[in-house]
Amino acid sequence: MRDYYLAILNGSLLTVAVSLASLAVATLIGLLGAAAKLSGRRPLVWLATSYTTVVRGIPELLMMLLIFYGGAIGLNNLLEAFGYEEGVDLDPFIAGVLTIGFIYGAYMTETFRGAILAIPKGQMEAAWAFGMGRAQTFVRITLPQMVRYALPSFTNNWLVLIKATALVSLIGLHDMTYLAKQSSAAVREPFAFFLFTAALYLVYTSLSLWALRRLSERYSLGADKVQLL
Amino acid sequence: MRKTLVALAITTLAGAALAADLRVGLNPAYEPFESKTATGEIVGFDVDIANALCAQIQRKCVFVESEWDSIIPGLQAKKYDVIVSSMSITPERARVVDFTNRYYKTPSAIVVKKGTKYDGPASLKGMKIGVLKGSTQEKWALGELKPAGVNVVPYQSQNQVYLDIKAGRLDGTVADKVEVHGGFLRKPEGQDFGYVGADQYDQKYYGEGIGIALRKGQGDLKKQLNDAIATIRANGTYANIAKKYFDFDPYGQ
Repeated sequence: MRDYYLAILNGSLLTVAVSLASLAVATLIGLLGAAAKLSGRRPLVWLATSYTTVVRGIPELLMMLLIFYGGAIGLNNLLEAFGYEEGVDLDPFIAGVLTIGFIYGAYMTETFRGAILAIPKGQMEAAWAFGMGRAQTFVRITLPQMVRYALPSFTNNWLVLIKATALVSLIGLHDMTYLAKQSSAAVREPFAFFLFTAALYLVYTSLSLWALRRLSERYSLGADKVQLL
Repeated sequence: MRKTLVALAITTLAGAALAADLRVGLNPAYEPFESKTATGEIVGFDVDIANALCAQIQRKCVFVESEWDSIIPGLQAKKYDVIVSSMSITPERARVVDFTNRYYKTPSAIVVKKGTKYDGPASLKGMKIGVLKGSTQEKWALGELKPAGVNVVPYQSQNQVYLDIKAGRLDGTVADKVEVHGGFLRKPEGQDFGYVGADQYDQKYYGEGIGIALRKGQGDLKKQLNDAIATIRANGTYANIAKKYFDFDPYGQ
């Protein structure tokens, strides 16, 4: 029994790795998506809007199966048509991270877009009037305030993302949910392992909440007293 | 000349077959057929059978874990070459994958309180029998027990059936003998219960049994595996493996 718990604990490292890597991908896509949506250029706006509409409208489970298995089957058929019999093997860790990052990038896009829109336009115009370039304005004026506006929704997305990592077992990664299922099937004692795993998720999410609250306090310094207008 | 060519072709083929591992997909969540030990090793009846078959066709088995929900897509995406994971041969599955002949077919049986008199379904008239919804056992119970006046109650999971037997809401169940032995009879709550009636194999309800799934169009491998199954049945390897896990012949009828 003890060894099964250790195995699950070991699997939790994979859960942490997948979630952090996916968060990095999702944040990057989210920033690019928000920039595209706010760029005012027709093709970019259209592209970003169809991305968020499609991705947020399809269940994660289906998306994962479609990308990982559908992609591999399609690629293999293509290769076979050209006479290669071997077939390709997608690395499940990378595929999982990219898929989850791709899905949550859509939610992040909306989070960042909303946060940027919450900053009064006049501030950016003032920065331009002072001769700052677009990049400088973003780093000095937009980004620090955007972080504050984005954090509550970002935290929400992060918690949902952590739980979504349980889906990577579908594509052959042995995260802690998968190991809990195997262990309970082997010992025929479901609840002990599931409760243990649930507790691990709770520890992880609680630590995240604590860290993000600290970050939020840091970025809100002075904001409660002074109205930024 | 022609003979040499053929001989050459055969040695080349044999050499190629020797070199390549046979990647076997399975979902190790079905004790005692396939499960994971605490140290992460995959063990069970299916694993031993797969290794015996690999020895016959002179390839090395490499086991690849998969979730049950994505086990057929994984086969099609070439994550592995065959599935040896207690998969029932059904017409729906046979549309997308090929199956070898069966390598086992465990019987199902009725389980009720010990000492219940039984000489046909009519003996259970008025009793409440729980079954797993959508299972082959449910089909059997609806086809054979219900006409005799037995109340057949479907459940979402076999574990819920056991819980309700324990709570006194059910008189018994119809289930796979291996499943009911591991999940109920050998446990304290199952000690007053036992089998009645004959082992059930009826193809009309229970189908053809458990086979190895392959991608379509792998006729050579399928033939090799079918021959290997016949060989290990004949030379006693199968019986030796079966003895480790069961007190009956799981090959069935």
